[in-house]
Amino acid sequence: MQIPFRRRLALTLTTLWVAACCAGSVQAAPPGKPAHPPAASALSALPAEPAASAVVSLSARKVYEQARSQLVQIRTVLKGQASQTSVGSGFFVSAQGHIITNFHVVSEAALKPERHDLVYVTADGREAPVQMLMLDVLHDLALLKVTAPPPAGTPAFDALGFRTENQPLAQGERMYSLGNPLDVGFAVIEGNYNGLVERSFYPQIFFSGSLSAGMSGGPALDQEGRVIGVNVARRVDGEQVSFLVPGTFASALLARGRNAAPLTGSAWPIVSSQIMQHQAVLTDRFIAQGWKSATHPRYKVPVPPDRFMRCWGSSEPSRTGGLDFERSDCVMDTRIFVGDFNTGTLGVRHESYDGRKLGTLRFAQRYAQSFRNENFQRLSAEQQTKPQCQEDFVDRDGLALRAVVCLRAYKKMPQLYDLSVLVATLDQTQAGVQGRFDAQGVSYASAMKLTQHYIDAYGWVVKP
Amino acid sequence: MSCVALLEVLDRDGSVRRSARVDTWPLRAGRALDNHLVLDDLHTAAHHFSVDIDEIGNVILTAGPSVNGLECGAQHLAAGASLVVGEQTLALTAGRTHLRLRLASHALAGEQKLLATRSLISNLGTLASLTAAALALLVFSTYLDTDSEGFVRALGTLGISALGAVLAWCGLWTLLSKIFTHQAHFGWHLRVVLTALLALQLVDAGTSLLAFSLSWPWITDFSFVLNYAIGAAMLYFHLQAVDTHKPRRLRIVAVSTVVVGVALNMWFNVQNTDRVGSELYMNHLFPPALRLAKPVDTATFMQRLLPLKATLDDQAKKADDDE
Repeated sequence: MQIPFRRRLALTLTTLWVAACCAGSVQAAPPGKPAHPPAASALSALPAEPAASAVVSLSARKVYEQARSQLVQIRTVLKGQASQTSVGSGFFVSAQGHIITNFHVVSEAALKPERHDLVYVTADGREAPVQMLMLDVLHDLALLKVTAPPPAGTPAFDALGFRTENQPLAQGERMYSLGNPLDVGFAVIEGNYNGLVERSFYPQIFFSGSLSAGMSGGPALDQEGRVIGVNVARRVDGEQVSFLVPGTFASALLARGRNAAPLTGSAWPIVSSQIMQHQAVLTDRFIAQGWKSATHPRYKVPVPPDRFMRCWGSSEPSRTGGLDFERSDCVMDTRIFVGDFNTGTLGVRHESYDGRKLGTLRFAQRYAQSFRNENFQRLSAEQQTKPQCQEDFVDRDGLALRAVVCLRAYKKMPQLYDLSVLVATLDQTQAGVQGRFDAQGVSYASAMKLTQHYIDAYGWVVKP
Repeated sequence: MSCVALLEVLDRDGSVRRSARVDTWPLRAGRALDNHLVLDDLHTAAHHFSVDIDEIGNVILTAGPSVNGLECGAQHLAAGASLVVGEQTLALTAGRTHLRLRLASHALAGEQKLLATRSLISNLGTLASLTAAALALLVFSTYLDTDSEGFVRALGTLGISALGAVLAWCGLWTLLSKIFTHQAHFGWHLRVVLTALLALQLVDAGTSLLAFSLSWPWITDFSFVLNYAIGAAMLYFHLQAVDTHKPRRLRIVAVSTVVVGVALNMWFNVQNTDRVGSELYMNHLFPPALRLAKPVDTATFMQRLLPLKATLDDQAKKADDDE
């Protein structure tokens, strides 16, 4: 399918946002590299103390001082070496040494435990190993616990408490996000609560503050120092547009995993199991919501409601006597981070072509080119099989379609697949509609249900 | 004095480069200047071989004191060995020099009919037709690929590019023909390349239309086999105007090109897509009136998707086992 320039720009922005939500590269703590030494040097040359005093309010200082001892940095280190492969933040949530952080902060250690260890580092520089008790991949959370209990005679761990659900925040209410940005040092960032993110499949808090890489997994606190949420992501194309996992999910994870045995071995089975649950819910909700009506004057073309998907449209009339087309592109903001890639999302798009200025033969050529220009290989061969496709002409109440269905299996998540469906209408000589539906990380049964749901959505508005 | 024999030095294409007339026996050949035929091949001896007549009139060929000896037809003569020259002309190889010994008693081969010369002006009608067809095809494909406003400009650009490419291609083959056969054969090479280009376009259009019309994706999935066949045929006919003496070898080259090309293409396809064919799905769409295959209902289509699961699971499991 063709992607006009303006739409390409919009897609880029959307992708960045999605990546900001869920991908390591733009999450507040990328499972990537340590802070850049040149940047650190530059900052150390500045008169930092007066600037810091001017920015941080009295409340922020108080909140930070109260939470400082509960705050930790989580480091993923190579086994047998001192080198860290990624850093994030976390916080104590029990006197027994339970720590909450993001799954993406510990994903390397979770998925490749034979190569990585986890340690926590306190604000006063003490370092000790931690182990994983439970993961909540769908909400990007992990529950850790210090490996060795505190020595006899030393106080138990200070823990942060959660703000309860019956104390809702008002929009604009002040809040404070804590963490260790870019491995520079522990910091407190002031911002405001702006409600929940719209059209997110899972609830996320919209925090208008500047989260940075390295703060992932750190707590966001109210003025009384209670946990409202967990730092998780930011948008790279906006200013102070950041996101938090609501504290209720962290609290629930603590309740479920407080007495769990430490995880041993790779976490891929846990990740697969949670993606399997996610796709079942996603498939049911997607099918239940139906389609928008009046999406094309001639055909019924599937376009989903804007509940947990965001649809962008564009119109591209040709200036050179060529093909005119309109495009609709619907994507989910929510994607599930599972280590080296994201999954668990749906996408629906279509393009409506008008080739009356071209004539029959030229239109057929362009229409075929557009149908040809599709890619099905999203992930590397290490992660997924090559696509397997089935195709035929399909009848929809007299409307002939060319339908192509391609599936790829995940290699590390058995019985989960990526699905792509291509459809082209074939009833007109100088006009037509081509659509594509994508579902990532779905079971075969869900893939079949979604395929039928999508193809069945095509038809005539009024049968000619 | 009558000539009793002729010793010819042959070129690599079999034509006679020079010859030594023998009026009296014996005849000597080698690098030394006292030979009747002086060879300039470093792999021959000073007196490489000699030909003489014995008491009863037999013509005897005798290898001289040579390290490499002498090849006489299929027979190898070591230094000092000799043989009687029979009733047929005798092909000799001394070092790397190819020779032919003809005796006055040998029967002359009949006169060969002159082959049609492969010049530009021969079959001018065919060449004109092919050129017109190729131009028409170029205009039509440019028309299909461009919008109304850009047609003339695109046609000019493509026309110049195509003309340059065809002339360069034919020029290269003409150079080879000139080197090996001393004739240009430009018209032949032009006809060959135009025919091949037309055939490739026709095969592409025909297979695409058939695949769409009948909903047979395998046709375009494996149309590359026909493309290799056309390419090999083009190579065969080009080579015919370069090496005119070994048609059997040319046929072997052409068939080998098809077999190796198709095998390599399939291998690359398997590496890239786990499939032998080259198209993941049939992506040729034509006007609705050209569709002959009946569409299936959604339930039937969904039923056909079910076997994919086992294939995908096998591939995923195989990859997991490999790791």
